[in-house]
Amino acid sequence: MSAEHRRLEEARQQNIPWKKWGPYLSERQWGTVREDFSDNGDAWNYFTHDQARSRAYRWGEDGLAGISDDQQLLCFALALWNGQDPILKERLFGLANSEGNHGEDVKEYYFYLDSTPTHSYMKWLYKYPQRAYPYGDIVETNRRRNRTEPEYELLDTGVFADSRYFDVIVEYAKASPEDLLIQVTIANRGPEAAELHVLPTLWFRNVWSWESGAVKPQLRAEPASAGIQAMRATAPEHNDVLLYCEGQPTLLFTENETNTQRTFGVPNRSPYVKDSFNDWLLHGQKERVNPALEGTKAAAYYRVQVPAGGSQVLRLRLATKAQAKPFDASYASTLKARLAEADEFYGSVIPKALSPDEANIMRQALAGMLWTKQFYHYDVDKWLEERGCDPFNPQRKQAPRNDLWHHMYNGDIISMPDKWEYPWYAAWDLAFHVIALTLVDPDFGKEQLRLMLRERYLHPNGQIPAYEWNFGDVNPPVHAWSTIFTYRLEKMNRGAGDVPWLKSSFQKLLLNFTWWVNRKDRTGRNAFEGGFLGLDNIGVFDRSSPLPTGGYLEQADGTAWMCLFSQNMLEIAAELALHDPEYAEMALKFLEHYLWIASSMTHLGSDSGMWDEEDGFFYDVLRLPDGRAQRLKVRSMVGLLPFCAATSFDGIVLEKYPEMRLRIRRFLVKRPEMRQNIHDPALQGVAGRRLASILDEHKLRRVLARLLDEREFLSPYGIRSLSRAHAEQPYVFKAGGQEYRVGYVPAESDSGMFGGNSN
Amino acid sequence: MDRVLQVRIAIYVDRQRGQWVVRDGDGRFWALPAGDDAWQRRQPCDVRDEDGLEPVPGHYRSLLGIP
Repeated sequence: MSAEHRRLEEARQQNIPWKKWGPYLSERQWGTVREDFSDNGDAWNYFTHDQARSRAYRWGEDGLAGISDDQQLLCFALALWNGQDPILKERLFGLANSEGNHGEDVKEYYFYLDSTPTHSYMKWLYKYPQRAYPYGDIVETNRRRNRTEPEYELLDTGVFADSRYFDVIVEYAKASPEDLLIQVTIANRGPEAAELHVLPTLWFRNVWSWESGAVKPQLRAEPASAGIQAMRATAPEHNDVLLYCEGQPTLLFTENETNTQRTFGVPNRSPYVKDSFNDWLLHGQKERVNPALEGTKAAAYYRVQVPAGGSQVLRLRLATKAQAKPFDASYASTLKARLAEADEFYGSVIPKALSPDEANIMRQALAGMLWTKQFYHYDVDKWLEERGCDPFNPQRKQAPRNDLWHHMYNGDIISMPDKWEYPWYAAWDLAFHVIALTLVDPDFGKEQLRLMLRERYLHPNGQIPAYEWNFGDVNPPVHAWSTIFTYRLEKMNRGAGDVPWLKSSFQKLLLNFTWWVNRKDRTGRNAFEGGFLGLDNIGVFDRSSPLPTGGYLEQADGTAWMCLFSQNMLEIAAELALHDPEYAEMALKFLEHYLWIASSMTHLGSDSGMWDEEDGFFYDVLRLPDGRAQRLKVRSMVGLLPFCAATSFDGIVLEKYPEMRLRIRRFLVKRPEMRQNIHDPALQGVAGRRLASILDEHKLRRVLARLLDEREFLSPYGIRSLSRAHAEQPYVFKAGGQEYRVGYVPAESDSGMFGGNSN
Repeated sequence: MDRVLQVRIAIYVDRQRGQWVVRDGDGRFWALPAGDDAWQRRQPCDVRDEDGLEPVPGHYRSLLGIP
């Protein structure tokens, strides 16, 4: 067992807090729904990047290469200034959704180079220009460009010309669960010596301003010793934490509180506010930092000269126990040991068949996943109350979103899609993240799936929250798929699956399955709606809004996803039935449910079902208020999704329960129409396995013919989400005197229908 | 203070005068000066048009010392 595997086991079995500290700081807290208290719900423009340096956040924090504890009480990150920028670089800059010609986009270059699952070793790289960062140019040039033009990137501005930039590399290594070594290496890639101002910053998330009677934590300077400066963080919720800083940096102290003068035009209560270090360093306002050397935000200010092509190293240490010699020889040897252990860990995770280059790619990809964990905090009830939308007040205002999700309290470490572009969880993306994360940390993977089904997340009606922009949106039901996949991954790696976890997940997934059946199958005929459904499933209309024609859509993708959901529930029930006979009945129930849904896709109304025999493709069906029905013949990902609903079964559970075999046979004999147009589940394949699939061989060949046709879906870069055939033949639909059109556009869509950042 | 009464309080900023303004549960307006214990030092103010005021999130209530 590798040292990192041992740490994972210690965290699991003995609650040793190896994961207490991690990269849980977001890269963007501004412009999020959580921080938006506007009446119109314009989150991007309510709390902007420009405000972020001055205005205290309500629900979280952000920073560069940041870490925090798992409740994000105390945060650490880097701040930088190249002597040219108009503001201190405390967070990544990017365009808001309305500013970018292709939606929101971070305009910085940073890389997650390494991380172990307990974050015992982490490495991060940021490329910081020596010239002034072109904030205005990036905003203005992107604003002038339209959707058909490429984005204007930082590299295009010329700011990196002659390699005049710094590589800022941050490494973290844990000497023990609550003793972190922090090494910052600054490499000057330019042709001349250059100076960099570096401010490793420690601060408390502001929780005291918003609750009456809350105790304010405190940071204060410790007596200096030879060649070392230190500060102490004291808070009622945890043990004291010390930050040791090698050398003689200047210690700066202020408060993580709003600069009300700059933000609201109301004079500050105190000169020590969130953006004091910016004004102290860039504007020489010495009175803005607290001479008493105490506050809730502190930094160690280093002024570093770096020769051309050379580098400088800064060393810090964050620990709960006092260190007599924080930078003795053990510092370097521990850092080296943690890196060697990371090598050892990945040596056991990455398949030996991969080339060194491929192995590096896999390791860095996993590092990216691990760095993208974030403390996500959102108390929806409180949030509604604070904006005057208390759900139990008869005089309440209507909230622009999430009005019906006041049961939700989120305050957990969650894997984000991206900590800058999407610093909020997306439940269905998360189901896929979990598969990759389970490769290195099954406990974290299972915990993520468990979270979404907990009473603090799952709606009382059984719906899984989608994402903060609209928790009530409908995303594909892939949670059961992820659950059985994760269970099997762990079983394969540990030799045994976690049956209690699987049982508990199954119970909650039943609630979610029932929500789908009761809410999204309007007529009870096993044909499902769902709306946008989150993928690049281009439609004629915005499928999440009322249709301009009236009526409703029976969605090929929604129905295919539900078919897969049934199959996954069948798989879980069959696995559980091996341990507990109670679940055999449930396996049978989901087998029947699968057959009902699959057969409905293929035979529901011979001339208006989703399957189009003439085209050999699945389409959405528009059901109009007057009873007419029409296929919407857009060949898109929507029609390819029925491929996904294919699952093979080994039949072990039937050997254990022979009566089940009889009951299945009886059902199939009694309802021959069920398997008439789908793959016959009674057919045996290799090793006696059986296949549950919507597509029989005939349909499979027909859809594959389009999928593998370069004039349709197959491109040099993978599978297109829309058939190329629609370049010459756009799909046109006329309703109410208006024309709706879907045409093929390579790469990103020219439609703003989904916020400009989809498709 | 019960929760229903609390949510009837509205906080605003009057940027022109550089002060906070609070509408209490009875619909009266109060100007709050900058500084500590702002609520304790509140003064009645005459607001005829709320349009000139910018709403401030409810979580600033504690910051301003409003009970």
